Amino acid sequence: MVGDAIVAEDLTYRYGQLLAVDHISFKVAEGEILGFLGPNGAGKSTTVKVLTGQLQPKEGKVTVLGIDVAHDPEKVQAQIGVCFEITNLYEKMSAEENLKLFARLFGVPHFDAGALLERVGLEGREHDRVEEYSKGMKQRLMVARALVNQPSILFLDEPTDGLDPASADNIRKVILEERERGATVFLTTHDMMEADKLSDRVGFINQGKIVALDTPHNLKQQYGKRALRAQVAGPDGDLESREIIMDQPETAGAVQELFGREKVVTIHSEEASLEDIFIDITGRGLTE
Amino acid sequence: MSLRRVGILLGKEFRYGSKSFIFIIAIIMPLVLSLVLTLVFGNLFSEKPRLGVSDEGDSRITNLITESDSMVGREYDSPEKLRKAVEDGALDMGIVLPSDFDSLLEQGQIPEITAYVWGESLAKQRIVLRATIDNMIRDVAGQEVPVEIVTTTLGDDESIPWDDRILPIIVLMAIVFGGIMVPATSLVDEKQKRTLSALAITPASLAEIFLSKGLVGVVISTFMGVLILVLNQAFGAQPLLLVGMLALGAVMASAFGIMLGAFIKDITSLFAINKAIGILYYAPAFVYLFPDIPQWVGRIFPTYYIVQPVVEISQQGGTWSDVAPEAFILIGLILVVIGIIGALARRTAQREALA
Repeated sequence: MVGDAIVAEDLTYRYGQLLAVDHISFKVAEGEILGFLGPNGAGKSTTVKVLTGQLQPKEGKVTVLGIDVAHDPEKVQAQIGVCFEITNLYEKMSAEENLKLFARLFGVPHFDAGALLERVGLEGREHDRVEEYSKGMKQRLMVARALVNQPSILFLDEPTDGLDPASADNIRKVILEERERGATVFLTTHDMMEADKLSDRVGFINQGKIVALDTPHNLKQQYGKRALRAQVAGPDGDLESREIIMDQPETAGAVQELFGREKVVTIHSEEASLEDIFIDITGRGLTE
Repeated sequence: MSLRRVGILLGKEFRYGSKSFIFIIAIIMPLVLSLVLTLVFGNLFSEKPRLGVSDEGDSRITNLITESDSMVGREYDSPEKLRKAVEDGALDMGIVLPSDFDSLLEQGQIPEITAYVWGESLAKQRIVLRATIDNMIRDVAGQEVPVEIVTTTLGDDESIPWDDRILPIIVLMAIVFGGIMVPATSLVDEKQKRTLSALAITPASLAEIFLSKGLVGVVISTFMGVLILVLNQAFGAQPLLLVGMLALGAVMASAFGIMLGAFIKDITSLFAINKAIGILYYAPAFVYLFPDIPQWVGRIFPTYYIVQPVVEISQQGGTWSDVAPEAFILIGLILVVIGIIGALARRTAQREALA
């Protein structure tokens, strides 16, 4: 039976008077990838900081791997890996030195920095100073650093934000490999495509509250509308659009009527995206 | 607290921190300052002893003095002018020769000459001059110890030589700069570059991180203190006690550096604050430098309890019983600073997470 890697109960965090995380509760199962989506300032990073023991919750309780984070953050931190949103590497050190330093602090025996760097596509550059790296290379090294202790839970805060497609793909590949290994992944992002591709479940956070939490499929089923979009040739030869809502009793008749009465040029099905659903639920976009 | 992790972090500090500008300055500056101050106050202005002579007759010694290459010799036309020159520090020593000085010597008598010594002249200059005068008189008399020199010291007879006065400021510079600035800049730099957040989510605790940075300060500060004392030949008769007091002073400086580093968020603010309060670090040294300032003023400043035991042992032959009161006050101050660091640590962790 799969247990819960993370359990947040009534978790609350305030910056002074500002309620950043507002009494949220959720669970993340072992080996699951949870995408945590929300616009900037929604409370994503604050939630990660509380879950990783960097901040103490003002109210509520967080259990990570069965340990109360507020009471024993060091014990939790020994078993997790964190990739921060902002690059915070030792720039005067090489990639290998960065990884070895953290491996020693985690007490990892027989650590193979070369193999880890190869996984993130930094082989051949392991002895270069990090200050000479591009943004994408630094981000891949950040992910590698989060993996030095083979964490049971991997917290990734906007790991592909602003990266070139190749670097972003490399990081996504590593995330899926980690899931295969059995790690739980808590992925914070405002990239709904990425969350859709990678996550077993996604949670929407808005103004400190979780407004939806389910599999991408279920969310689309619940909140989205599926439709057929067709382009038809009009009487003067101009293209016109037609939309038929799917999963309705009258859908079949409408399709038959479309093909019977009009000259269909193209037709395809459309699914709601997670962003559409987020806007539908919150009335605001993920990139606001 | 894991000593293994402290060791790992300490190794990182020495390996990568030693290339930082502040680390290098912490080593070079006390050495350069020591050299400059010693040259300016100790050697440059008094490399050759300065001897004045007022001759009431026509002694051959006057010619020997003014023609000598081993000292700066000047003749004065009255004993009053000679005395004034010595009082003003223009001469290390001045002698008044009676009118029949050479003939009395030749007759085998023991004439009396008057010598004025500037109170702040270096002891080595006085010795050189006395020996030179002895030799000149022997030359003229052609016999052993023909005269008895009666010495009158002018100015402050209790005056401390410049070498001794300068030493406290150089020692303080060596201990305080390295001890405070190396850990403080290292900590602030990690905060600015957010690497402290990365370390904080490893099993390493903030206490281990602070301790490793503080130890770097203690090591460099103690090493520089010892080096400066060795270079100034001021190690005294109790080397172990001296090193122990230097190390205690280094602990105090480093703890203060960690406190500053935990409190201040960026390098610019650190340097600005350090510049503003820096004079307070060195204030006790000015009391040594200018003995006219009442000595109790120095006791107001915490760094007094760092430098005073060192001065006591190295220059005055002090023992543990002489320096114990200052040592206990210093330990008390260290405990207070460590208490403040403990209170600041939680705030630092919180601020780092919020950054």
